[in-house]
Amino acid sequence: MTAAITVTGLTRRYRGKLTLDQVSVGFEAGAITGLLGRNGAGKTTLLRIIAGQEFASDGSVRVFGDSPAENDRILRRMVFVREDQAYPEFKVGDALRAASWFYPNWSGELADGLMADFALPRNQAVKKLSRGMRSALGIVIGLAARAEVTLLDEPYAGLDAVATQLFYDRLLADYAEHPRTILLSTHQVDEAAGLLERVVVMDQGRVVLDAATDDLRGTATRVSGPALAVAEFTARRQVWDRRRMGSQESAVVVGPLGETDRGPARNPRLTLEPVSLQELVRYVGTRPAPDNLQRTTA
Amino acid sequence: MNTWIKVARYHLLKRFDYLVLPWAWTAFAFAVDLVIFAMVPVSHSYHQVLTAHGIAQVASPPSPRDAGGLGAIVAVYFALGVLSIARGLPFAFALGLSRRSYYAGTALLGVALAVANGLAITALQAIERATGGWGESVHIFRIPYILDGPWYLTWLTSAVALALLFGWGMWYGIVYRRWSLPGTVTLTAVQVTVLVAAALAITWSHAWAGAGHFFTALSAAGLTGLLAALAAALLAGGYATIRRVTV
Repeated sequence: MTAAITVTGLTRRYRGKLTLDQVSVGFEAGAITGLLGRNGAGKTTLLRIIAGQEFASDGSVRVFGDSPAENDRILRRMVFVREDQAYPEFKVGDALRAASWFYPNWSGELADGLMADFALPRNQAVKKLSRGMRSALGIVIGLAARAEVTLLDEPYAGLDAVATQLFYDRLLADYAEHPRTILLSTHQVDEAAGLLERVVVMDQGRVVLDAATDDLRGTATRVSGPALAVAEFTARRQVWDRRRMGSQESAVVVGPLGETDRGPARNPRLTLEPVSLQELVRYVGTRPAPDNLQRTTA
Repeated sequence: MNTWIKVARYHLLKRFDYLVLPWAWTAFAFAVDLVIFAMVPVSHSYHQVLTAHGIAQVASPPSPRDAGGLGAIVAVYFALGVLSIARGLPFAFALGLSRRSYYAGTALLGVALAVANGLAITALQAIERATGGWGESVHIFRIPYILDGPWYLTWLTSAVALALLFGWGMWYGIVYRRWSLPGTVTLTAVQVTVLVAAALAITWSHAWAGAGHFFTALSAAGLTGLLAALAAALLAGGYATIRRVTV
């Protein structure tokens, strides 16, 4: 893979607390990568340092081979949309006008289309917008900028389900026509799963998983059925989670399943279902990742 | 350079604040000054002259009445300097601007506006002279000693003074962004401390006579030079402070 963004040994200490702890990760050029993890995992700090808004305590960030900090040449190829973006006392239209001046690939057409999609009023003061509408404005700027590196930090905060889906649809459609490097930090893993080509999961300032989404499919399976049968099935396998209700048990086993596991030979009273990306992220974020998932680079 | 101009335009999206407000506020102060001075009669002093017919009372020309209405535009300039940073910076960062470009573009706007508004003050001063102080002997655009020379000096001095105030405000805005209210209070305390320390140093070295002489001997042009040096120092201080600012 060619990395658009290379992060090496990045550490950020803030008042004695480690927000980022020796993070080393590469973000593929021309791909949509999901940056996942719980609140306080360090996602926003990582994005802020990549965008040159925050400074590293140690380590380095390279975007297209150069440090982004105070580097106009690199910064103008990036856009950063964050959920809590503060605006000057602008009207919506002014904010868009300002954005159009600074981005060489700005698409007024796309901006107009998105404005109509989200029913954003051009003449309204930004501070009078609801939280969801303000998020929509951030999304319009983030997508219409068509910046080579697009950093989206939970851009849908406060958006309703319809508008969120609209965001994903428009993002994917414009990305298909104008490929770029997109980093999307999100909690809504399953909703975004369809468009993520890679996922990077962070926990307590560290990267705990970095893998292609395709490689993750089938890495964990939930087995449920009579406790005895489940115990037999899970013997000699790594198990993430085990829940028992009476004589029934359900367990999440790690690792791809073989033909014998799935085929007619297996106990017919066992049900097997794939674990969703959302659950996978939750498991990975709370325990050491299995060996076959750590730092995989496809 | 191109980016600097775009930054200036970014601020000017708030046209009313940067172009109208300073003069709206000045016009208000001007009107207040005129109303107040119209109520107060012009004071005439008389002196006695010995003539062939005895002692006569002769009126001196009316004494000028300094109104201080120009202080209004100066205050607005400081406020604009503060807002240009405190209000505009976070979104500028989102748009991929470096601190350096943002600072340079903002300072450029401050200086350009100071030059334009200095010219406007010069023109108003000319009108004030031509109309005998707006018919009321009022000095609003003339300040004794500081803003009372030839037109080009009035232009230069007022432009430098406005730029200084804008730069000072910018620095406050940056300090506010970096260290919030405790920072701005500390900045003020540091400035007061510097002034007090200077006064103490002069007292202890018995140099008040020398200092007094320095200021009385200082021409308006010299004072302008001093203000320009101070403005440059403020801009340098602001730049040093913005380099590590985060939003």
